[in-house]
Amino acid sequence: MSDIKTLAIEKLNELNPEYPELIEDIVVANKKIYLSLKTDKAKVDKFTKIKLQIEKELAAIDGIDSVSVSLTSHSDAIQAKAIPQENASGVSEVRNIISVASGKGGVGKSTTSINLAIAINQLGFSVGLLDADVYGPSIPKLVGDRQKPKKSKAGKILPIKKYNISLMSIGFLVPEDSPMIWRGPMVISAVNQMLNDVEWGKLDYLVVDMPPGTGDVQLTMAQRVPMSGAVIVSTPQDLALIDARKGIEMFKKVNIPILGIIENMSTFICPNCKNESHIFGFEGAKLEANNQKVDFLGDIPLEIDLRECSDNGKPIILSKTDSVVSKKFLEIAKSVTKKVGDESSSSKPNIIIN
Amino acid sequence: MIPENIILSENKKELTLEYGATKSVMSAEFLRVNSPSAEVKGHSPAQKKTVSGKRAVSINSIELVGNYAIKLIFDDGHATGIYTWQYLQELFKGKDKIWKDYISELRKKGLNRD
Ligand SMILES: Nc1ncnc2c1ncn2[C@@H]1O[C@H](COP(=O)(O)OP(=O)(O)OP(=O)(O)O)[C@@H](O)[C@H]1O
Ligand SMILES: [Mg+2]
Repeated sequence: MSDIKTLAIEKLNELNPEYPELIEDIVVANKKIYLSLKTDKAKVDKFTKIKLQIEKELAAIDGIDSVSVSLTSHSDAIQAKAIPQENASGVSEVRNIISVASGKGGVGKSTTSINLAIAINQLGFSVGLLDADVYGPSIPKLVGDRQKPKKSKAGKILPIKKYNISLMSIGFLVPEDSPMIWRGPMVISAVNQMLNDVEWGKLDYLVVDMPPGTGDVQLTMAQRVPMSGAVIVSTPQDLALIDARKGIEMFKKVNIPILGIIENMSTFICPNCKNESHIFGFEGAKLEANNQKVDFLGDIPLEIDLRECSDNGKPIILSKTDSVVSKKFLEIAKSVTKKVGDESSSSKPNIIIN
Repeated sequence: MIPENIILSENKKELTLEYGATKSVMSAEFLRVNSPSAEVKGHSPAQKKTVSGKRAVSINSIELVGNYAIKLIFDDGHATGIYTWQYLQELFKGKDKIWKDYISELRKKGLNRD
């Protein structure tokens, strides 16, 4: 360990003999170098360049996976050497990450994710959508696109831009007809790749479409990235609600705030007579939200148009802006962004190293 | 409960968690010897190791783990302990007793803090 330290300092010296003098602290742990540099606040731009240069140079050292350089200045010691979230480098400029989850499959997570992402974008935020369902990715189909992602100059994967949303899905990375047989560790590395190696860039929101259930992917996400909150999708059916409860429990365990429950396919509005019928039971999710003391974010009726739009790769919120469903998604987007604003200020601790 | 501020003292030997007006302060040594990592805790109480000789240990850096924990990186190279907010609170609440038990365990095993 310590020779890596020495080597790192020598490298800095080679780059510029003044750099070693800037070192506040250097730690090597788990194949990572953490370096804090004394910074002159007035020259932030210059130091940001130095930081990037150093990160690149040191990452080339044998046996080192990643390098994190933090800039400290003594008038504000705040967050000096705090190393936020190991690994999730691709999302470092994303302000809020929200996951769309459910305990049970097929309740409408993917449908909700894409429409919610676009709705949040329509409210004026920059938005990305990560399809974390590596077993059964849906986003390429939902946006009707299968182009192969390009690489940036730095060798990172660039998200696909469609409908003004930055998108990434395992479906863009592997051919459509290749069998998706993922075992635990591969699933994790696929998810990690989408967090680390994709250049998400600056985003106000990253919506994550989760696979069904409460398994590895959910846990990895919870550990790798600071999530602002989770939205639980449920149908009013009892069974789905039991599963929704499991989903809620899981997020509670890892301290991710539940932003609320969305009841999907809540009612069926007959296209002919416009009568509403409650095919999956009446307001089950709403009652469950009350029991669990989580917010009810809204209900989306069962709507044939919604499925048709999804199948055609043109989300309903864009193709039928006046529909009830589109309006509901916009309302939900408003509640979600408002809640995230309220929560995020209180839930992230400051790490202060004197 | 999630602390608002996590403060490492200048000599890096004391960690303070601030929850509104209440504070919990723990030493690097106390945190190190009570690391929740499998390497210290074992996989059952019987396997628990007694970590000795950590009077001088200090904390090099702190990482957030998701929204639920921090990872402490100690200067003796120990970097696998993930301290959840809940575990940190339990440690702080039981501080006096945990410490007393630790000292008597050291004595029983003929170990010491240095
Ligand atoms: N409100 C709705 N009205 C009509 N059809 C809907 C509605 N919500 C979802 N669907 C349809 O139900 C099917 C399942 O939806 P979706 O793929 O979004 O679920 P999911 O929870 O993401 O599934 P999985 O667990 O497999 O990832 C899709 O064919 C979708 O078009
Ligand atoms: Mg899906």
